[in-house]
Amino acid sequence: MALGDEVTDIIKRNNVHVVGNGSQPMLLAHGFGCDQNMWRFIVPAFEDDYRIVLFDYVGSGKSDLNDYDAEKYSTLGGYADDVLDVIHELDLHDVVFVGHSVSSMIGVLAAKREPDRFERLIMIGPSPRYINDPPYVGGFERSDIEGLLETMEKNYIGWANFLGPVVMQNSDRPELAAELTESFCSTDPVIARRFAEATFLADNRTDLAGLQVPSLILQCSDDLIAPRAVGDFVHGSLPQSTFQQMQATGHCPHLSHPDETIELMRAYLRSPVPA
Amino acid sequence: MDELIEQIPCGFLSFADDGKIERVNARLLERLGYQRSEVEGKPFESIMNVGSRIFYQTHLFPLLAMQGRADEIFILLRASDGSDIGFLVNAVRHERNGHKVNDCALMRVEERRKFEDALVRAKKAAEAAQAELEIANRRYEEQAVELELQQEELEAARATAEEANKAKSKFLAVMSHELRTPLNAIGGYTQLIEMGVHGPVTDDQLKALDRISRGQKHLLRLINDVLNLSRIESGREEYRITEVPLREVVSAVLPMVEPQVAAKGITSRTVIDRPYVVRSDREKLEQIVLNLLTNATKFTPAGGGITVRVRQDVERERHICLDVEDTGIGISAEKQRDVFEPFVQVHADQKQEGSGLGLAISRELARGMDADLTVRSEPGKGSVFTVTLPVVSSP
Repeated sequence: MALGDEVTDIIKRNNVHVVGNGSQPMLLAHGFGCDQNMWRFIVPAFEDDYRIVLFDYVGSGKSDLNDYDAEKYSTLGGYADDVLDVIHELDLHDVVFVGHSVSSMIGVLAAKREPDRFERLIMIGPSPRYINDPPYVGGFERSDIEGLLETMEKNYIGWANFLGPVVMQNSDRPELAAELTESFCSTDPVIARRFAEATFLADNRTDLAGLQVPSLILQCSDDLIAPRAVGDFVHGSLPQSTFQQMQATGHCPHLSHPDETIELMRAYLRSPVPA
Repeated sequence: MDELIEQIPCGFLSFADDGKIERVNARLLERLGYQRSEVEGKPFESIMNVGSRIFYQTHLFPLLAMQGRADEIFILLRASDGSDIGFLVNAVRHERNGHKVNDCALMRVEERRKFEDALVRAKKAAEAAQAELEIANRRYEEQAVELELQQEELEAARATAEEANKAKSKFLAVMSHELRTPLNAIGGYTQLIEMGVHGPVTDDQLKALDRISRGQKHLLRLINDVLNLSRIESGREEYRITEVPLREVVSAVLPMVEPQVAAKGITSRTVIDRPYVVRSDREKLEQIVLNLLTNATKFTPAGGGITVRVRQDVERERHICLDVEDTGIGISAEKQRDVFEPFVQVHADQKQEGSGLGLAISRELARGMDADLTVRSEPGKGSVFTVTLPVVSSP
């Protein structure tokens, strides 16, 4: 049972769930502000053909907050470590990694460290840098990110900022903690803020170079978070990438336009692995 | 019913999953200062502040899509005049006319927002103060650790220095004994040859033997000085303190240098205004005074003078000074500091005999018996060496 205990540590830490009847693993990685529930419209379409692995990043969803390490998770590299931990724990090979938003870059970091584990990456709304750095267009100024942090603060203020920590310590009332988890995907405002900073203040442009794993870029229309110019930049930096413009608008096509998202994923997965 | 929606006292807005606003009520248009045509058909995000757009995409919309509703979400909408106005949004998602729509009721929260802003500011100030405290605390801890380290280093350095000093004293003592034995043999056998024990000696041979003898004596004196100094420094010197009349000390020592003084054509005088008695080791005090007089004679040119003066210390009550004053070449201010250091010969270029230990030994001896030895001097005019001694009585 020693191995079992060990498995439980990572499984519990990242709230890992495995579904589906296929053999090839499809690892679904949620974006900032969300958890694995955001894949609910996508999962049924691939259940028959893939072994689908769902998880929450530490600090999101029902992950174990006791494993939160401020230093480790101050950069996306810490999150990439966890992706590789899950891959090792379940002994996954030929992984189809699907990352939404920030998870696209987390996937790139993980795939660069251990390319042999990955067959391809599907990136939904990727951005290696959100802040403008002329001539590079990221879409945001630093002050905009401050605005996001302020909006987050306001939304976490009532219960989380003041009551949250108290409630979370009240282990005799776990239903309260559960309720908080239901209303937002991140239960801890401080962790959410750090994740926002690690995401939106990061510059991972140079990490794109040298990625050996083929990838698909799903570019939404009218995406304010990852505008077309950013998608073009990612495509231009990844020689083995396929660029796919979507009809879907916004930043969460797997939630707003699941049918188109599924169709484009299938088409890409049906095509042979690019050399 | 439509009329009711237009006029209810809160904003209403409905958007589709492509983000486009399908419906907006008059109340909200009025609050934001837009025409209906400016808003309907545009993305909901287009009337948000930029930070709220990100929040909408990362929190509000996913929540709506996953749970079908979102309650009390704070967002900032951007009014036509560019100002940001805070709203609380309650939204439900359902199907209408064959597609998904998201209906939002929006309440202005300007007043509440002010309190929240104050609350957030207060919390941040408290956190900053806490952080500062922690930093200060850490700094204190670091300083304490550093001080402890310095203390340890100091202790170690002192221990090393003491160790080195002990080693030096031991080395000197051993080496001096090793050297003294053969030197005594040289002296003894030279004397025997001089006396003709081994046969007749020519005049030239006698001259040579005399030089050998003088060299041997000089070396022996030097070694004795080294031995004395190391013994005194190591604290093994014993002092026999008695009441010593200073006039007697001067009377005993002065005749010993009289021959040299006379030979160099130097005058000497003694100035003792009262019969002072001090507490001292008589023999060692005589040794010190002899050393000072020998030095004074050496460095005073013909026609000069030496004065031995005994007087009350002007600086310290119950202390007596014995000055040995000369009209010699003097010592510069910077060299006065070195003059009591072992092996220092201030006038090394003068080719004067001596080990360079005389003054070092004298001062160590003085300090070993509650006295002190100091110097005042002016180059070209002369020097005054002063022994300061504790008085027994000053009648």
